[in-house]
Amino acid sequence: MLETTPGAAPDTALTSRRLLLRPEQPAQLSVAVVLVAFVLFALPFLMNGYYTGYMTLVAIYAVVALGLGLLVGRVGLYSLGQGAVVQVGAWTGARLLFATSQPFPIVLIEAGLVTMAIGILIGLPALRMRGLYLALITLMFAGAITVILATVNFPNGGGGFTGYNGNFSHIPPIRRPSIAGSDPAYFRYAVVVAIVMFILVYAHLITRPGRAWAAIRQSEPAALAAGINIWFYKLWAFALASFITGVAGAVLAGQARYLYSINFTTQDSIILLAVVLMGGAYSLWGAVVAALLQQLLPAWLQSLGVSYAWLTIVFGVGVLQVLTTAPRGLADQFPKDMRKLGGLLWRLARRGAGAGRGPGSAPAAPASSARSGGAA
Amino acid sequence: MPPWSEFEQFIVSGLALGGVYALSGVGLVVLYRATGVLYLAFGAVGAMGALLAWQVQQDGWPGWASWILCILFGALVTLLYGVIFGPALAGRPPVVRAVATLGLLLILLGAMEVIWTVSGGAVRSLSLPTDNGGFSLGNIQVDWTQVISLALGLVITVGTGAFLRFTKLGTAMRAMANDREITATLGVPVRRVEAAAWFGCGVLAGAAGLLLADQVQLDAATLTFLVISSLAAALIGRLQSITVTFVAALVVGLVHDLLTPINALTNYRDMTPFVLAAIALLVLSRGRQVMTQSREEG
Repeated sequence: MLETTPGAAPDTALTSRRLLLRPEQPAQLSVAVVLVAFVLFALPFLMNGYYTGYMTLVAIYAVVALGLGLLVGRVGLYSLGQGAVVQVGAWTGARLLFATSQPFPIVLIEAGLVTMAIGILIGLPALRMRGLYLALITLMFAGAITVILATVNFPNGGGGFTGYNGNFSHIPPIRRPSIAGSDPAYFRYAVVVAIVMFILVYAHLITRPGRAWAAIRQSEPAALAAGINIWFYKLWAFALASFITGVAGAVLAGQARYLYSINFTTQDSIILLAVVLMGGAYSLWGAVVAALLQQLLPAWLQSLGVSYAWLTIVFGVGVLQVLTTAPRGLADQFPKDMRKLGGLLWRLARRGAGAGRGPGSAPAAPASSARSGGAA
Repeated sequence: MPPWSEFEQFIVSGLALGGVYALSGVGLVVLYRATGVLYLAFGAVGAMGALLAWQVQQDGWPGWASWILCILFGALVTLLYGVIFGPALAGRPPVVRAVATLGLLLILLGAMEVIWTVSGGAVRSLSLPTDNGGFSLGNIQVDWTQVISLALGLVITVGTGAFLRFTKLGTAMRAMANDREITATLGVPVRRVEAAAWFGCGVLAGAAGLLLADQVQLDAATLTFLVISSLAAALIGRLQSITVTFVAALVVGLVHDLLTPINALTNYRDMTPFVLAAIALLVLSRGRQVMTQSREEG
C-alpha cells in the first residue's frame, strides 16, 4: 500500500512517503490543533489560580518529558538525571534574567544554548558508552551538578558570577515577559513555548536526523553499515534534548519567580523517567501524558487531601507494569485498549440487536492496532 | 589548609563509611554478575528495613530482634522482587532491568513516606549499642560501630570472594555471569541460583541500611539515594571486580570525609563518589569491551 514505485509522479511519492512516516497524521493533527486552540483560548478562563499554576508546570514539564522521551525512545538513553538538566536551564535563565534586560525569548534561547553546550560537553565523552553504563554516567553527572548548584545557590538578584546574596532580606522575584506578567498570561506563554519546542522536535523526527535515530534504534550495526554516523546523531539527539530542557528550565524560572535548590531532588529525576516511560517514550503525545501525570495529578490529589507519597507508589507500580507488559506506554496503550473496547462493544451491540449478520465485518480494531504495532 | 590533627578523626569515620559502601557495592556487583540486574532499590530496601527496626524498637522490641527484622525485611523484599520480576524481564537489556528496579525504589519510597511521614523536623534516629563503647588510637576516638562497619566490609568482600571461588553455588554464579544459556544447559538450576543471589544481596541491603541509618541519618530519601555512592564504587570496579569495588569504596568514603575540614571544598564533598566514578568510567575504562556491552545489547 505504501510502496513508492520509481515511475510514480513526484508528488505521489512525496505523499506516500509522508504516509509512511505518520500513518495517522491528519486525524492526529486536527486533534492537536483543536486541543491547542482550546488550551490557549478557553482553558485560562476555566481554571482558578491553583490550577493555572500547575497547568503552567504541565506545559513546562511536557517539554522536559519530550526531551527525555527523545533520549529514551530514539537513542535508547535512559537518562536518570534529567532533573539536573532542568536545573541548569533554570539557573542560567534566572541568572540572565537578573543580569540583563534582554527580551524574554532571547533569554530562553540563550539558556537553551548554554544547557546544550554543557550537554554536549558531557555527551562527548559519555556517548562512547552504551546502555547501562551510559545511564549510570548520566546519574553521576547529574549528582555532581546538583551538588554544585546546591552550593552556589540559585540566583536571587545578588552580584558576581553566581548572582546569589545570602544577606538579602528582600529577594526580588525573577522577572517575566512584559506581555505575560499575570499567571494566566504566563500560562499561555508557556504553552506557546512548549508548542514551538514540540514543532522543533517534530521537524527533527520527520527529516534526516529522525530517520537516522530510527535506524540507530533498530540496529546500530545496520545503521553503521548504511553510512550513518552513529556517534554524531546520538550527540545531536543529546544536544537537542538538552536544548529544549534548558529552555523549559528557563520558563520554569519565570513561573516559580523564586528558585531554591531544595526544590530539585534526585527523586524528581527518577519520577520524571517513570512518568515518561508510563506516558510512552515513543510518541509526542506521551510527553503530554507524562507531564499531566507528573504535575496535574498530584495537584488534583492534593486538593482532595491525598498525600503525594501515594502517587509515588503508583508511579513505581506503573514503571514495573509498563516495562513488563506495555513497553510503549499509555499514549500507545490507551487508544489500543479503547479500540479493543470499542470493537467489543460494537460486536456486543450488533449481537444484542440480533441483526443475524456474521461477525466478519467487525474486526477493524485488531487490524489498526496491528498496523501501529508494525510501524515501530 | 587545617592542621593534620583535624583530619585524623575523619580518617576513622571515612573508613567506616567506606566499609558500608564496600558492603553495599559488593552486594550490587555479585547480584549484577549472577543475574544481570543492577539493583538500584538497594538503598530503599535498607532504608525501609531500618525504619521498621526503629518502629518496632519504639514498640518495645529488644534491639537484636529489630536488627534481625531489618535484615530479614531486606532479604525477603529483594527475594520477592527477584523471583517475580527477574524471569519476567530476563530477555531485556541490562538498562531496562536496572530501570525496572527503580519501580521498586519508588514503591518503597512512597510507602515509607506514607507510613513514616516527616513532620515538622521530628528527627528519628536509630542508634546501635556499639556507638557507646570504643577505644582511643592516639588522639583518635574509635567506636565499635565504626570498627564493625570496616570489618564487615572487609569480611563480606573476602568472604564473597571465597564463596564465589570455592563453593558450588558460587561457581554456578560465576558460570552464569559468563553465559547464562550454557550454564542452564549444563544442568545448573538457574532460577534457584538467581534466587540465592537475590537473597544474599537483600541481606546485605538490610545490614547496610542499619549501619548507614546509625552513621548517617534515619531518613527515607537520604538512605535511599546513598546507594548512588556505593554504586559509584561498584562502577569503578566495572561491576565485575569485588576487590576493586572494596578499595574504591574505601577511597570514596575516605576522600569524602577528609574533605570535610577543608573549608573551600567542604560543601563539594558530596560530589566525591560522582566525580570518582565519572573519571573512572571515562578514563580508566577507555575502549574496554565491557563498557560497550556489544554482546548483550548490540
